[in-house]
Amino acid sequence: MNRLERIYAKSKDLVEREIEGEIIIVPLTSGIGDLEDELFSLNEVRRDVWARIDGKKPVSEIVKELEEIYETDREKLTSDVLGFLGELEKGNS
Amino acid sequence: MSGYLEEVKLPDFRFWKEIEEKRIPLSAEVELTERCNNNCTHCYINLPANDQDAKKRELSFEEIRGIVDEAVGMGCLWWLITGGEPLLREDFPDIYLYLKRKGIRVSLFTNATLINTEITSLFKKYPPQTVEVTIYGLSQKTYEVVTRNPGSFDAFRRGINLLKENHISFTLETAGLPQNFHEIKEMRGFAQSVTGKSLGVVLRLNIGSRFKGRSNRNLIKRLRLPPEKVMEILKQDEKRYRKDMERFCQKFLRVSGNDHLFSCGAGVGGCHIDAYGNFQLCMLLRHPDCVYSLREGSFKEVWERFVPRVREIRANNKKYQEKCQRCFLESFCGQCPAWSWMEHGVLDEPVEYLCEIAHTEAVWLGLLKKGEKSLGGRGRK
Repeated sequence: MNRLERIYAKSKDLVEREIEGEIIIVPLTSGIGDLEDELFSLNEVRRDVWARIDGKKPVSEIVKELEEIYETDREKLTSDVLGFLGELEKGNS
Repeated sequence: MSGYLEEVKLPDFRFWKEIEEKRIPLSAEVELTERCNNNCTHCYINLPANDQDAKKRELSFEEIRGIVDEAVGMGCLWWLITGGEPLLREDFPDIYLYLKRKGIRVSLFTNATLINTEITSLFKKYPPQTVEVTIYGLSQKTYEVVTRNPGSFDAFRRGINLLKENHISFTLETAGLPQNFHEIKEMRGFAQSVTGKSLGVVLRLNIGSRFKGRSNRNLIKRLRLPPEKVMEILKQDEKRYRKDMERFCQKFLRVSGNDHLFSCGAGVGGCHIDAYGNFQLCMLLRHPDCVYSLREGSFKEVWERFVPRVREIRANNKKYQEKCQRCFLESFCGQCPAWSWMEHGVLDEPVEYLCEIAHTEAVWLGLLKKGEKSLGGRGRK
């Protein structure tokens, strides 16, 4: 399947925390973020992607929505979104 | 990671400033029980494992969930589970998983004797941030002279082997005692080879603040190592110790000039909750004026109203004002309201035991000359 047509849902094994405006991803299971002195946080663009992962929207629609917020070309945005989703998948596998 | 998820080292994290300004309860410690399967000579929190009265009074899982929910809502990100021996709680896996599922990074203090395959499977799938295991000796004889629990050495070895076989990272920590003094150097080597990390050594034995067992308090006092023995232990890891102290001194060595009793971080970004739901600013401070039952008030109320009031308390004792608040080793020695409370039953009385060790260390580090006192910011005869 074309990755842009894929639909992502947030894994139950990743917990989202918001502390003083920072979005922090805390993995429940082994994988990313196991190191004692590290945290994983999302910058502004990733937060907007994260907020749109709902188990219903395909990636293409997320990209489309982000295009309305960010003045950047679709190719760059698509690459960023897919990169981020890929990393979340990897960390959660 | 390629940078889509931003890895941030803890010291560089952006919310540290906010913690101090907005007082976020970022970390909490909880004693799941005061019961322990060991009966260590130097320990002040080791009710018998089968103490039914203590068990009945402990916070239930439901009560813990309520506290956790509130703390998480206020930003709590780290939780240390301690005891007693926390693995005595039959509902430990439920409590642990609940914390993890709330997005908390969980650490554990344990003696490892109750680690079994159920626990290692749990930790393998849902890793703790840190597991700190106490070690009391490297030989069965030494270990069990301290724990006063036959069979505990084998159980400890079994426990740490299980952790190791399952690639669950842990550290080892001991308390410097007359009974194990001769094995501490060897324990250092053992810790390094088994965990890849340095051995933690507790050198200042506190007598706890549970005043019921006076006899135990006196026993703990008798077990304290004299300053010269403390120095011997510190010299075993001299390079690291000097490096740590250099960093510490650069940051904290000064006369605070602060007449507030609390110059430490207690209740600033963290707190402690005992097995019965009593909120404390730190693990050791149980003065009745500084404790609030979470069975009678919410975590939010306690954090927002009670803690700031406690931190406003000033020192009234002239001896403390003249001796400790003018001493440039104040932060170095560890004198604090909790230690004062444990030793003397008040919040502002100097603790001679800490003072003696601090002065001995300061002389060795070249901060003072032998026989010199540390008042007024510089050494003074």
